[in-house]
Amino acid sequence: MTKFKSKGLYFKFYTFLPIIALFISVLNEFDLNYLKLKYFSFNFPFILIFFFTLKDFKNFDYLLVFLAGLINDTVVGLPLGISSLSYILICIATSYLRNITIRPNPIKDWFYFLFIISLINSMNYSILSLFFSYDLLLLSYLVNIFFTFILYMFFTYLFKYYLRGLND
Amino acid sequence: MASSRDDFIIAIRSAFLKKSTQQKFSLLTLVFVSIFTIILSSFDFKFIRYLKAGISEAVYRSSFIVSIPENFLKNTFFEIKEYSSFFQNYKSNKEELNELKSKSISDQITQYENKELKELINNYTLSSDKLLAKIIVDHDSPYLKSIIINKGSKDNIKIGTNIYDRSYLVGRVVEVNYKTSRVLLLSDLNSNVPVTIAPQNIQAIITGTGKNYGEIKYIKEGISNLILEDSIVYTSGTGAIFKSGIPIGRIDVADTGNSKKFKVDFYSDFGQLKYVFAELVTKTEIKNEDQQAEIDDTQKINTTDTKLQILEDEKKIIEQTNLKLKDENESLKITINNLNKQNVDFRNELYDQKQIIAQYNIDLDEIEFLRLNLKFGHQCRKSFLNNDGFEVGTLEYKSCVMNKGQIND
Repeated sequence: MTKFKSKGLYFKFYTFLPIIALFISVLNEFDLNYLKLKYFSFNFPFILIFFFTLKDFKNFDYLLVFLAGLINDTVVGLPLGISSLSYILICIATSYLRNITIRPNPIKDWFYFLFIISLINSMNYSILSLFFSYDLLLLSYLVNIFFTFILYMFFTYLFKYYLRGLND
Repeated sequence: MASSRDDFIIAIRSAFLKKSTQQKFSLLTLVFVSIFTIILSSFDFKFIRYLKAGISEAVYRSSFIVSIPENFLKNTFFEIKEYSSFFQNYKSNKEELNELKSKSISDQITQYENKELKELINNYTLSSDKLLAKIIVDHDSPYLKSIIINKGSKDNIKIGTNIYDRSYLVGRVVEVNYKTSRVLLLSDLNSNVPVTIAPQNIQAIITGTGKNYGEIKYIKEGISNLILEDSIVYTSGTGAIFKSGIPIGRIDVADTGNSKKFKVDFYSDFGQLKYVFAELVTKTEIKNEDQQAEIDDTQKINTTDTKLQILEDEKKIIEQTNLKLKDENESLKITINNLNKQNVDFRNELYDQKQIIAQYNIDLDEIEFLRLNLKFGHQCRKSFLNNDGFEVGTLEYKSCVMNKGQIND
């Protein structure tokens, strides 16, 4: 396992890695859509934000999450603030879950994640189609929710590996 | 019961209001800021427009830089794929190029004629320049199909500017910043384009599907049966959003049992775009008659110059063709002369042979006469005993001999 000298430059970079990954993913729209796999898409920022805010990761600043949302809106071409609101709502949901949980259970977290992303995507869909008259494919949203839910466990495993590296 | 409700309220309040040691803002504040931003972005205030343009400018550039490694991998993958079918493509492209070259000149002439006719119909003239633009952000989002190009208001790009891939329509500009613009692709669900379907000349509207093809919608009832597979779809120009006559794609009829679906396979592959053309259209109102005459003269000179240039090119080609035809003509003349000579020679030879045959026939008659003369001459010759005979050498004598001594009265 990689060991870092605390307060070293590499260590600092390592601790900021999740937020850097968030910014890269919103700027780059990291969702592997270009592979042209029919109906395949997932929302990596949702997984990242959910996991690290649930863990109350110290460098995962809500303000930076909010800014990442603004950037995502600009890149995707959505009205400003939509993604920020979604990301902040995830933060609220995880904060609530943290407060009510005594013994964390990964499976419960996983299904709670499904409930939250379904709720947030429904809200997104409603705002965009009702207030901004966007034509959107409901099926794309459902597929996105499904794959985001499926891939959550895989990324959770990777993130736990990352956290272990930080604790060592 | 009451305590569980209290727990819930406490947990909610804590989630919204409690700041962790590292957090500068509570989540409730950020929720309000988000909602405020959404409300503001729905209004078209000048300040918000400039702010959005500023953010977009910075974000698009950053997105372009961040996407470089991923784009490199993506492009390498596509290039390898392309190289595998390179030779076949080269051969078919060469054939296509030869065909297109021959059509190009007549097309240009038709375009200029078309332009002149349009100027006669409308009370304004349109002049257009195509500006090459690079695609800096091309994230194939599952919800919205759009691209970002590196040309903006600085380069006279406006909302609604038509965007092309070669001569095929790709979409139109929906957001303009100082040095960047967002292009809504034809495949986006929010894209609607009035089109004409050829050769049936049917008016319809094509809408995006969120996938890599479009769909024909809003077609007059009863004429959908007229639409055939592989019919060509091009812009009709209705609504003056898109120019008329821009090719879009071909019809693919999908029979779903009860009804038919008309898909449009776009000529351009939106996933493979690297550069596009933005058409900058300048609209000039036609002034009063005197001014118009002057403007017309200068425009006509320009148009005439270009037309003359094309005609000169065409003349050159015709002259070259004429020269070729002349050469061919000369060689054909020489061949004809040679053949005529041969013909005369053959005729002379034939005449000689006929003469020989005639002489041979005469000789044959003479021999026959001499032979019969020896045998029957005494019966035909006039003598003391034969008063009915003839004088030797007369025609009667000869015919008597030829008749084997029988005297005809």
